[in-house]
Amino acid sequence: MNSIEIRHLKKYYGEVKAVDDISFSVGEGEFFAFLGVNGAGKSTTISVLCGKTEKTDGVVRIGGREIDSDTKRMLGVVFQESVLDKSLSVLENLSCRAALYGMDKTALEKRLSELSPLLSLGEILKRPVGKLSGGQKRRADIARALIHSPRILILDEPTTGLDPKTRKQVWDTVGKLRKMQHITVFLTTHYMEEAADADHVVILDGGKIKADDTPLDLKNRYAFDAITLYHVGEAALKNLSLPYERVGEGFRIRLKDTSEATELILKHPTLFSDYEVKKGGMDEVFLAVTGKKGEV
Amino acid sequence: MKLQLISLVKRNCKVFFKDKGVFFPSLLSPLILLFLFIAFLGNVYRDSVRSVAEGFELSGGLVESIASGWLVSSLVSVCAVTIAFTANTVMVQDKVSGVRDDFLVSPVSERTLALSYFIATYLVTALMCFVALGAGFIYMAAAGWHLSAPDFFLAVADLLLLILFGTALSSIICSFVRSQGGVTAIEATVSAAYGFICGAYMPLSSLTSWLRDLLMFLPGTYGTGLLHLHLMGGAIDAMAEEGIPYAVIEGMKRGFDCTLEFFGSAVPVWACYLVLAAAGAILLGVCVALNFRHGRKG
Repeated sequence: MNSIEIRHLKKYYGEVKAVDDISFSVGEGEFFAFLGVNGAGKSTTISVLCGKTEKTDGVVRIGGREIDSDTKRMLGVVFQESVLDKSLSVLENLSCRAALYGMDKTALEKRLSELSPLLSLGEILKRPVGKLSGGQKRRADIARALIHSPRILILDEPTTGLDPKTRKQVWDTVGKLRKMQHITVFLTTHYMEEAADADHVVILDGGKIKADDTPLDLKNRYAFDAITLYHVGEAALKNLSLPYERVGEGFRIRLKDTSEATELILKHPTLFSDYEVKKGGMDEVFLAVTGKKGEV
Repeated sequence: MKLQLISLVKRNCKVFFKDKGVFFPSLLSPLILLFLFIAFLGNVYRDSVRSVAEGFELSGGLVESIASGWLVSSLVSVCAVTIAFTANTVMVQDKVSGVRDDFLVSPVSERTLALSYFIATYLVTALMCFVALGAGFIYMAAAGWHLSAPDFFLAVADLLLLILFGTALSSIICSFVRSQGGVTAIEATVSAAYGFICGAYMPLSSLTSWLRDLLMFLPGTYGTGLLHLHLMGGAIDAMAEEGIPYAVIEGMKRGFDCTLEFFGSAVPVWACYLVLAAAGAILLGVCVALNFRHGRKG
């Protein structure tokens, strides 16, 4: 059974078609990436999923059920900005949020004992959220999203504005969660490389789906591979009769796919003593699909 | 729903009290206002009391007691409404910071959330107002205590009713505010204007008749009138013990808004309660209707 199923979803605000007839599904335990620039319709879709916004038309099912107050229990959301009370401690925040899901003190303590080792909560539990570092805050946010043991974790641009170290910490935590709790992860992000590890990617533009596939298939379809050669003369490259460009101390040749690279290496083995082959990235995919540059 | 509501009310109160930039000024402002009232307006009101009883000799203690009742009733009636607006900043801050979004992705309904803000605002306002009333009672006791037990409890009831009115009014207005600057502007306007329009700073009887009749359409005025009556009434009635005629005593009650007049007719006490309770109920109904609308809105 799919964790999330969306069929012909539409959300119009008067003349503005924020989401215009989109359909996709997210499998159980899948890592799903939902990409698009600001205003593409990502947040509106999430808002509908979370039951915060009523849809104009279409079908949205979570865990096989139409959206109601019970489907909210299946979702945990990490927002772009921390939405915990800064003046309260992490524990006070978590205990307030747990009560919203009907969890009493015993249930909260049990859940905290499960989450603590995973998110290293012990050291921050009694500290006010406003006094935590960026990484600690994000851990607290993830703990809040998971406090009621949801089946689906929605990460709404969770690393925007974070430094590289904190971003890595966040992704390490999400990786651990997926491995240990087999949770479905629904990610929206501006950082294309974060979507590269997803099982399934949907690219949204202007409220419509522009691409829906695995990262590998998207890269094969939309991105080009590149081979960079070092320690070769430009004259030798000209003999290949392929377009190339100078990059640093080497030359980069753009190729259709990896098999073309293999063919080229086998045909001219003497040229390829120092080289690297790089597959096209999600940023290229995004650019090719939407004509808009994603952040890298 | 009960667990959700209790938890949200606790959280809303905690967030208010832990924000020292809001809590301490809210707590101190009634006390500062009381001091300013006594220091700057005390003599004005003492002179007013003497002028109403012109031609009769009132003891200094009784003048002091009547003036203190006026000052304290004015203070708490203003606080009941202005502090409610300050307490509702939690609701506005939650919209601005996105905390409200976090609540709404949980199974909690918009109505439960709105009710939690309402209850928390009521509790916070009541706590602050009763601190102010406590300080006021100390001042009144020092000036000369003439408050009977029924008047004491009626004053408490008046204040609770007026806080309900203030909470409902501020909840409706703040439900439309989406920025911190907006709520600050509203707070400043209410703080500056409310004391005048509810008859706290100046007795309505001292205003021109058209303005007095206009202000009598505002329900908060009736709450202020009830507080004047129950916090000053005992001291004014004690004038009889000093041989002051009944007509002067009644004139004093009208002059200091213990007896309100609407288009020249005295408004009975039961009618004041009715107006205040009805206004509170109507505003509460509007609050419910607004949240019902928000709950349905896509």
